[in-house]
Amino acid sequence: MMIFQLSYLFLILVLVMIVSMVARGKIARYLTILFSAFVFVFTIVNNMTLTNFDYGVLSILALSFQLNFVSSVLLILISFIGIFVPLRYGSSPGFFVLLQFLMFSLVGLFTTRDFIVFYIFWEMVLIPSFFVIGIWGGKSKNYAAMKFFIYTHVGSVFMLLGIFTMYFTEHASTFSMATLISGIGTIPMAYQSFVIFGFLFAFLIKLPTAPLHSWLPDAYVEAPSEGTVFISALLSKMGAFGLLVIFAPIFMASSFAGSTAVPAALIALGIFSLIYSALVALYQKDMKRMMSYASVGHMSFITIAVGGFLYLNGSNPLASQLLYYGAVFQLISHGIIIAMIFALVDTLERATGTRNIPSLGGLARQLPVLSFLILAAFLASVAIPGFSGFVGEISILLGSYAVLKYYLIFVLAGVVLTASYHVFALQRTIFGPYNEFLGNIKARKEELLVAIFPLILIFILGIYPALIFHIFHINAIQFLGGIHI
Amino acid sequence: MDLSVLLTFLIFGLPLIGFPFVIGIGFIRKNYSMYLGTSLIFASFLISLYVFFNYTVNGVVIQSSFNWLPGLPAVIPVGVYADNLSMIMALMVSFVGFLIILFSVGYMKDDPNRHVFFGEMVLFTSSMLGLVLSSSLLMLFIFWELVGLCSYLLIGFWYYKPNAASAAKKAFIVTRVGDVFFIAGIGAAILYSSGGALSVAGLGSIHLVWQKTIVSLLLFGGAIGKSAQFPLHVWIPDAMEGPTTVSALIHAATMVTAGVYLIARTYTIFTPTSLTVVLYVGVVTVILSGLIGLVVNDIKRILAYSTIGQIGYMVAALGLGLGATSIGLSIYQLEAHAFFKALLFLTAGSILHAVMNVRDINKMGGLWRKMPVTVTAMFFGALALSGFPGLAGFFSKDSIISASYGVSIFAWVLLAIGGFLTALYAFRMFFRVALGQPRSNAAEHAHESGWVMLIPVVILAAFSVIFGVFQQGFYNFLENPPAAHLFGIAPLTTLDVTPVILMLAAIGIAYYAWGRNSSLPSTVTNGARDLYLLVKNKFFIDVLFTNVIAERGVLGLSAVSDGFERRAIGGLVDASGNLFENSGKVLRKIQTGLARQYAMIVLIGLILALILLRIFILYGVI
Repeated sequence: MMIFQLSYLFLILVLVMIVSMVARGKIARYLTILFSAFVFVFTIVNNMTLTNFDYGVLSILALSFQLNFVSSVLLILISFIGIFVPLRYGSSPGFFVLLQFLMFSLVGLFTTRDFIVFYIFWEMVLIPSFFVIGIWGGKSKNYAAMKFFIYTHVGSVFMLLGIFTMYFTEHASTFSMATLISGIGTIPMAYQSFVIFGFLFAFLIKLPTAPLHSWLPDAYVEAPSEGTVFISALLSKMGAFGLLVIFAPIFMASSFAGSTAVPAALIALGIFSLIYSALVALYQKDMKRMMSYASVGHMSFITIAVGGFLYLNGSNPLASQLLYYGAVFQLISHGIIIAMIFALVDTLERATGTRNIPSLGGLARQLPVLSFLILAAFLASVAIPGFSGFVGEISILLGSYAVLKYYLIFVLAGVVLTASYHVFALQRTIFGPYNEFLGNIKARKEELLVAIFPLILIFILGIYPALIFHIFHINAIQFLGGIHI
Repeated sequence: MDLSVLLTFLIFGLPLIGFPFVIGIGFIRKNYSMYLGTSLIFASFLISLYVFFNYTVNGVVIQSSFNWLPGLPAVIPVGVYADNLSMIMALMVSFVGFLIILFSVGYMKDDPNRHVFFGEMVLFTSSMLGLVLSSSLLMLFIFWELVGLCSYLLIGFWYYKPNAASAAKKAFIVTRVGDVFFIAGIGAAILYSSGGALSVAGLGSIHLVWQKTIVSLLLFGGAIGKSAQFPLHVWIPDAMEGPTTVSALIHAATMVTAGVYLIARTYTIFTPTSLTVVLYVGVVTVILSGLIGLVVNDIKRILAYSTIGQIGYMVAALGLGLGATSIGLSIYQLEAHAFFKALLFLTAGSILHAVMNVRDINKMGGLWRKMPVTVTAMFFGALALSGFPGLAGFFSKDSIISASYGVSIFAWVLLAIGGFLTALYAFRMFFRVALGQPRSNAAEHAHESGWVMLIPVVILAAFSVIFGVFQQGFYNFLENPPAAHLFGIAPLTTLDVTPVILMLAAIGIAYYAWGRNSSLPSTVTNGARDLYLLVKNKFFIDVLFTNVIAERGVLGLSAVSDGFERRAIGGLVDASGNLFENSGKVLRKIQTGLARQYAMIVLIGLILALILLRIFILYGVI
């Protein structure tokens, strides 16, 4: 069977990017949609569960790539964002070139099977995000951009050290993930611990997990709305992808496999992050800042899922797979939901001139359609059935009972708190008496129309999750095999 | 696909697919959505009837499932499971739902957002039908959440009322507390059966007793939240801020009984331990709500506490642990309650419609003359609720009380007292509304409602009166053959007469105290001041939840977290940033550009390195 080679995709993407750079006017915006269409087509014409692309070895770099089910899901998410952002925002051409650059880096990041290439793409992602926050950001954009850049960079330094530790202690010839990961069990324990720490540190910052999250609220709030949309939808997925596809195999191949200390710590961190972010979110007055913490809360389910998965170590296939698949599903559903929410917050801010929750109220009277959309997005974020957020969250919750037993009560408390701040915010914004100081306000029709696009996807994925679930196959992720029935 | 399966899917699928159209057609003409919504539910009712008489009565159990999440080692089924229990619930839900939606056509005809209202009502009814026809715990939970969502949206339907917005929030969060226990219960069921117990038919695959106890108690936690049992009953009285038809459909007849249905559905996994918990939660709820119902003045809230209490009887009946008999007792009470409580709510709605939404019963009075049909229907509703011999509540409630005697005398005493309290508050409400002189301007100008609102009321009143005749058939249907000693089947004994005497006494006291001008109530409240205040403050449970846990506890913790976030975590990050910046400023000073100084530093560094090397060799590190 003819397959769409990844190398062709890279070539096409670079060409599109060059054309966007030299062309003037609105072309970059439309080329971004074309760019995403290529990513989407590439993903769906290949076998989404597992397709390998091997292009030999370049000196110490192994040019092998892999489209597994996690990367497929993320590539679909990338193409969604790449279509949604240009449709929704008419930003300057420079922004779209940066967005394309970011998407290109992410496609590389999610498919490569070489650690150095992975690291290069990992760092490349920072550049466009940094510029988007720094150029188009809000009041304290410089502070936010520097904080974001330095904070996440500190994490990646440890990852790089971890990569080098593996490479030099295993005396490998290339940085191929397959060889380096499979050899990790043979090196001294001290080095193994350092490798695990380095990767975990980098990924937990990127995810982010409280208390390593403080770059996030500033970056999300200060970034322009279009920046917030892609940063929240895509960048946090790097950490999640790392945990699921890089960290979990490293851990299971290491001598730590089967031990419970690190997984238990991960679960505890995830629960802490969930409850903490919910508590902080409850107190926020700025809607955008509140939803930034909501994003932290959603991603903490990934931490819990990965921790639970490693804790079980294959002993309970059903629970393990519920956790793992739930986490992967949560990636795409969170990406779509959070993008929709931040876009709606922007619409709200443009219509009313504020995103301060106490200054709003009773919007359902004046802006019924916007209110309906915000309500739907919030309910999706609370994980009400019928919306895609439910599928990921319920899978993780059901799976984690096998690990947590009665400790699950803490996760459930986090779930209730999450629902509380969403509903509390809804009560003060769209319900209640109308705040007459807002005057006679209107939302832009085209912005509302575009928001229906993610909503439809959320419904489709929520009602028929098999659409994504049918590509899941745990053995496609290397070294996680042996968890079959 | 088999025709029976297709039809069963259509019972809830038709309105589920139809509800967006109900809202959509409202943009053309708002009245169209009323007609479309009503006809969709009527169609559901007709299909339910057809399935019921063609398959269920012939003993056919319709089952069909498909895998919702493929790729997992176990099947995660969603689909339909229609046995006697499901179908009898589906019939009730679609029938009562149809009557209430028909009533709404009159009740909501002037509301500018009525197309949204009817859309949400249709979504609710279809979700409720989906709930009772679910083939798996997961699908049951999906619809369980959807009915909760509709409840949230419909309580907050008049969103501009601050009370409604606040009540909607409260209902959502409190039921959410119950729901998470349901999630944990499903998780436990999956773990202890390797996924087999997900489907309703496979619940028996949990074998060990302690595992059953855990799963059943967790599921019961979900039921407590949804069915408003003690201590999570606090959301229903506030939920009365929504339109009255919503209260009738969701917070009386159908959604709140979902918890009872859940227990009945999963009855095989309830062990004696968990059944004891179930029984006493039900009994406590009965007494508690009966007492609070006596001191509340808001007509809808009295009905709300009455709903809590009647569901308490259903829960207690299940907790008796009599197997299929318990299910029969409980579901029969559920259906009877659906009729007479929907009737009471609809009549209350008509009255509120007539008196400009003044809900205080002390401001009504003398309405029997103004609205004869409505208030007479309400009279029958109150009689049925109290369990007057021959009416629905008599056969349903008193049979539970009698059955409890064989299990626990303590429970029997409390349930009988609960019956006394029920009659007392029911007739307190009725006498204040119907008798005496109008006590406000609005009550003087009340007038009878139109026929669209009267027809459902009359039908429901008829059912409340004659429903007793179905008792034997009902038990036969759910348990074949029914236990012979059952109330209503066996002749009455002195034991069975006790609740009746208590009930008649209660009606007498109610007439004496509230049916005419009397100083008795104020004498009693002044005499037992402390008890009165305790009950009037709803045993401080609302205060505990709202003021202590939510406002002091959670919001306080949230404020502390926010301070910690900004000061400690944010401060630490900034401090570490400043540390590097400042150390840069200090170290910058040694960059003087003088070669002599550089050579000096190199020399010092070299000496230090050699000393370090020596030390390392000395201690054998290298």
